[in-house]
Amino acid sequence: MKINGVTIADTFAEAFTMRVARLVITGRTAKWAREAATKLTGFATSVIGCKCEAGIERELTPAETPDGRPGISVLFLTMDKASLPEQLIVRVGQTVLTCPTTACFDGLPDAPDRLAVGKALRVFGDGFQASKVIGGKRYWRLPVMEGEFLVEETFGMLKGVGGGNFLILAADAEAALAAAEAAVDAMTSLPGVILPFPGGVVRSGSKVGSKRYKNMVATTNDPFDPTLRAITPSQLPEGVNSVLEIVLDGTDAPAIEAAMRAGIPAACRPGVNTITAANFGGKLGPHHFHLRKILA
Amino acid sequence: MSDAVTLSLAERPDHVLVADCIAADRFAGLDANTIAALPVVHGGRPGTLGEFFKVRGGRSSVVRIEGDVPLMEGIGAGMAGGELTIVGSVGRDLGLAMSGGRIDVRGNAGDNAGGAPPGAARGMSGGEIIVRGNVGDEAGARMRRGMLVVTGAGGRGMGIGMIAGTVVVFGKAGPGAGRFLKRGSIVALASIDRPATFRYACTYRPPHVGLLLRYLRGRAGVPVADRYVAGKYERYSGDLAELGKGEILQWAGE
Repeated sequence: MKINGVTIADTFAEAFTMRVARLVITGRTAKWAREAATKLTGFATSVIGCKCEAGIERELTPAETPDGRPGISVLFLTMDKASLPEQLIVRVGQTVLTCPTTACFDGLPDAPDRLAVGKALRVFGDGFQASKVIGGKRYWRLPVMEGEFLVEETFGMLKGVGGGNFLILAADAEAALAAAEAAVDAMTSLPGVILPFPGGVVRSGSKVGSKRYKNMVATTNDPFDPTLRAITPSQLPEGVNSVLEIVLDGTDAPAIEAAMRAGIPAACRPGVNTITAANFGGKLGPHHFHLRKILA
Repeated sequence: MSDAVTLSLAERPDHVLVADCIAADRFAGLDANTIAALPVVHGGRPGTLGEFFKVRGGRSSVVRIEGDVPLMEGIGAGMAGGELTIVGSVGRDLGLAMSGGRIDVRGNAGDNAGGAPPGAARGMSGGEIIVRGNVGDEAGARMRRGMLVVTGAGGRGMGIGMIAGTVVVFGKAGPGAGRFLKRGSIVALASIDRPATFRYACTYRPPHVGLLLRYLRGRAGVPVADRYVAGKYERYSGDLAELGKGEILQWAGE
């Protein structure tokens, strides 16, 4: 299969089941909602080193938020049930609670699994906190120097999907970056998907484990490193000198597929040789995103 | 089973009609004949609901009362769920000690709406009462949880002895509002006669008030002007003769 002369490899991306929460952060202006969301999702690229993966899903208009103010929708993923509330409590407490004018709402109200995030954060109020039940949901009002911070008592948790991906194999670094940027633009703000890495792009794709260092859980993906072509069993076609990866996390597999369907064609630009994907032979992750099937 | 139970006023009561048998959740298991046979007290004498209302439908927790019944007391007393709409005015003890569901009055309500029975420590402990008109004295008295919204004026002692919960009053609230309040909020969009035992804290935009008013506008169809939703409020903490963890929030402009 080819798109705009770019080969679509006959392979699949292998992804994992994760736990996901959606947070809606509002602020007096879009700037302050974005400030909080950016801090909240900082250092959350990969569970390998960050213990969570997070990103901005999309900006919300005042008509889309519970309090009628500009907002940001954020997706937050961890590998297990227990660590999601731990990460949320720490991060919301340090980044949203601290940010002027913001409030924090649950974005998965129908999810039966509930995480007591606001309930845990309430104790910052040192006994001066108060709760309000509005429309059947409990909110906590925490007194802060600016006024009050409002946070929903519980947040919904669903099974999500982490680690959807595709690799852009290009003739040079400039072409790879331009293709990656085009793909990210095409996938940004699609519902139910985040791209957790910087600008949505990864340059340091990894393989599981290490050939040399026992303690390393992930090391450089040497079959796709152009500088190692001569000394490793390279998987790079002739003429490929730079590779970038797009990693996608989402609320479910269809959301990931929809994003890949939008992003891969956008990446098929001049200078790009092949679009392929990373997998582990299908043995580790239950979600397999076959590139040609998605694009058919 | 029908979509809703409708009680249409057939015989206007001449005296006080105590009809605390009317509660939306109780009607969910009753057919029309059984509802019509429910006991009421008219002028101190026993009677049945069917003597005053034509009953249509049954086995539904969505109940509609059609007719102006200012002499009818205790509607929705102890209600725990469902939706009760009254197209007209009602008497005292509306939603007395209710714990859930929603009562929507398209008219005025008498004294002690959402309040407590005589001698009881707690008034309503959950649910919502919306009165699209005025209420009498001591509305929301000793409220433990829940929400009482009055789009008109409140009488004397609104929210007196509140333990928690929220009272919203769009019009003027009479003297003694919030007296002996422990926790809870009285949100006043017009003037309110505050007890001297409330102390000014600050003027700010309480985030939950905007959320609450938007909820009322969206879910309950209560017309709320934007100036209230996004406005500033003066916060008065009180009652300082009690626990002092409650508040009166008075709208202070945009």
